[in-house]
Amino acid sequence: MSEDIDITQLEIPEILELIQDDLYDGLADEVVASVRELLRRGLTPYDVLTKGLVAGMDIVGADFRDGILFVPEVLMAAKAMKAGMELLRPLLAETGAPQIGTMVIGTVKGDIHDIGKNLVAMMMEGAGFNVINLGINVDADKFLNAYHEHKPDILGMSALLTTTMPYMGVVINTLKEQGLRDKVLVLVGGAPLNSAFAEEIGADAYCRDAAVAVVTAKKLLAIKRGEPAV
Amino acid sequence: MYLACAGDACARCGRRLRNLMADQNNHDSEHCHLALMPSGRQGKVRRGTNLLRAAQDLGVELESICGGRQTCLKCQVIVEEGLFPKHGISSSAAHLTPLTTREMELSQGQRLEGRRLACAAEVQGDLLLTVPEESQARKQIIAKAASDRVIEIDPAVRQVYVEIAPADMSDPRGDWERLAEALETKWDLHGLSIDVKALHALQTALREGNHAVTLTIWQGQEVLRVQPGYSEGLYGLAVDVGSTTIVAHLCDLRTGAVLATQAAMNTQVRYGEDLMSRVSYATTEPQGLARLSRAVILTLNELAEKAARAAGLQPVDIVDAVIVGNPVMHHILLGINPRELGGAPFALAVGSAMDLKARDIGLNLNPSARLHLLPLIAGHVGADNMAVQLAESPHDQDEIMLIVDVGTNAEIVLGNRQQVLVASSPTGPAFEGAQITHGQRAAPGAVERVRIDPLTLEPRIRLIGYDGWIEPGNADGLPEDVKATGICGSGIIEAVAEMFLAGIINASGLFEESAAERSRRVVYHTRTGEYTLVDASLSATGAPIVITQNDVRAIQLAKAALYAGTKLLMKHRGVEQVDRVLLAGAFGSFISPVHAMILGLIPDCDLDRVTAVGNAAGDGARFALLNRGMRKKAEALADWVQHVSTPLEPSFQDEFVAALNLPHARDPYPTLEDILPVQTAPAARRHRNRIRDKLGA
Repeated sequence: MSEDIDITQLEIPEILELIQDDLYDGLADEVVASVRELLRRGLTPYDVLTKGLVAGMDIVGADFRDGILFVPEVLMAAKAMKAGMELLRPLLAETGAPQIGTMVIGTVKGDIHDIGKNLVAMMMEGAGFNVINLGINVDADKFLNAYHEHKPDILGMSALLTTTMPYMGVVINTLKEQGLRDKVLVLVGGAPLNSAFAEEIGADAYCRDAAVAVVTAKKLLAIKRGEPAV
Repeated sequence: MYLACAGDACARCGRRLRNLMADQNNHDSEHCHLALMPSGRQGKVRRGTNLLRAAQDLGVELESICGGRQTCLKCQVIVEEGLFPKHGISSSAAHLTPLTTREMELSQGQRLEGRRLACAAEVQGDLLLTVPEESQARKQIIAKAASDRVIEIDPAVRQVYVEIAPADMSDPRGDWERLAEALETKWDLHGLSIDVKALHALQTALREGNHAVTLTIWQGQEVLRVQPGYSEGLYGLAVDVGSTTIVAHLCDLRTGAVLATQAAMNTQVRYGEDLMSRVSYATTEPQGLARLSRAVILTLNELAEKAARAAGLQPVDIVDAVIVGNPVMHHILLGINPRELGGAPFALAVGSAMDLKARDIGLNLNPSARLHLLPLIAGHVGADNMAVQLAESPHDQDEIMLIVDVGTNAEIVLGNRQQVLVASSPTGPAFEGAQITHGQRAAPGAVERVRIDPLTLEPRIRLIGYDGWIEPGNADGLPEDVKATGICGSGIIEAVAEMFLAGIINASGLFEESAAERSRRVVYHTRTGEYTLVDASLSATGAPIVITQNDVRAIQLAKAALYAGTKLLMKHRGVEQVDRVLLAGAFGSFISPVHAMILGLIPDCDLDRVTAVGNAAGDGARFALLNRGMRKKAEALADWVQHVSTPLEPSFQDEFVAALNLPHARDPYPTLEDILPVQTAPAARRHRNRIRDKLGA
């Protein structure tokens, strides 16, 4: 598909737009080619990330939230994003580009639902976050260890059962006991949850879906860092 | 309407109003007066009581699917404002605790329309409430009837007639010892014991029967009943305790005949619709487990009583019972806290078959009646599934049989005589109408069948309780009271499948904008489509019944979970296709096989070989009641069948995602070749190629 247009003939804004469209359509090879071309033209890795990939995933997120895109399409888009990101990641580190943020995420103890949480992880990566996915059945110790190892800005917890969601409160209490609660934003999600529950257990926010998680994470992080809201 | 006075100027009720005011002055501050319309039920409730609870206490069942977590939005009520002298109530919205954060969010999204969620509010003062029709928990349509299948009659209980010599001063032994001796010599029955309750009746029976009695003996081991003289009649009860419905078959244990079938809603529903809500309730509420146990035992006793009466018998005539249920129902029935079933690793307290006295769990049958519980297979695969396997016998077949029991948690059985695999798959409650905008359980007024004309996009529907197809655009000639109240599981499955066939949605589940140009029934709200299935004129609420993009998504998620589980079992079993598909459960009986296949709920299979088997769990329980060899068989099967924990399989996510498409992203459906619309998949996926389009690529 990529041979049908010659991206070397396009203006930079056009290539950025192309990246966004190709992400939307889940075209990994095309995204990688465009990333390469933009870097060749001298765009900074950070600009390629934010103006191309992240901007593209924002559109994907909005359409997912509205029900226009669904899980398969979003996964394809996230895979394409990941392919582009692999090219950029070492360059971002080299150039000392600003970090968007780090998130540790997992499905809480007793719960083995994986997919929704993975979708959040992918959308967060799509937004430029560094995401450490702890998997399923994660207990408080494991969350705490991951906190100490990765010093995340955000801790994400997922539960799909009414019987396992109270464990989120256990993790938050453990954070409190160790004096870490204020150092990290806690976002929670999963079908049986709602904002009242999030409030009750002392999380920072309930996120209805992966798209909301991204928007909420960005917003709360900006507030926390004292930046103007995005 | 209610007589509401704005002040004491009302001439008609002035006196009562003054009394009311006086009443209020010396009002008991601990209690509030609550009245619920249209039922008219009213009474005092303690201040601070949760409104959902308060309504229950007054005997008004509200829909609640989430068990009071402000999630399902089914328990909406309307607070009437003003003085209602007829009821002696001065009602105000301020007599409830303020809106919760969740309610405020919903109000902003205009999803509450000024109503309150009963589960979110506490009673703070006197109230008169209207419960809208859609919030009233309805009486269930029970669609479970015993099928007539042939099995060998060999029950666990039998009757024997014995005569003994009269008591004699020279023989100091007790009557029971002399009876036991007679059983040894005349019936070759050795080492019997007698239940203490049967013992109570022994001497009276001997006297009345003139030294002759008829004994009811369980498994050649224990005397359960002593009847005077010669007596005939052996009756047993087979019960399937479903999380929504409980069905009991009263059987003649000598002929195998089903004498009566009674069904009732599982009243545990009031404490939480789905299983996990009930586990939560049992775990977090101090009296939770006791309430749940009591609810189910009470219902079982009522069913036994009704079934006995319908057959001209008494509950005391029932001497044996077999009960099956999923692990949570099974544990609650035994009074075991189901806490461990609420999370991984989903450890059962006990999985083996159990032999108890019916009275041990509070059943009012014959005082000595036995109770057998079939074995459980795994934390999510219970005795009900074991009963399904007994009834359908995949283990006796050469062909590969797939059995899907669709519910909130679907159970999947796959295999043949070489190997049978089982799994459970978390489909969620969408198939039962929850999470669907106008979803409801199967009850009168629910849309149960749907056909959509592919050219005009006009629907035809069938409603539960009305015999005949209805064109919602043309209600002429229909009786006044025929109104649609919502869409039940089978209705939503047919609706989504038909929408796909008619091109209203594409294979990815997305509404097609072109459909909006073809019919007024497809409209777009901002960016997402919606299909009007029933016009306002034919709807019980006066608002049209629609299917939204999110409804389609909810069904896609549910069916993908089911299909992915099936697919993983097929991979484990090493088969590419199945020879037979059985749809089990009350819900399964109503699913149209072709629509289930169009949706991709089940794998490809010759449509003639896809059949609904009704309440197979109840049938299996009946088999185990009538034939004790079946109980042995079940124990052997429980060890033999292999449980697969599908969500832990590495490829589950991949299979799940591929199964979201209609009918599937990659698995072929040759059976549907002439039925499915021509696929334009790449076009459907590529929405946004601005640059590529511009360059004409």
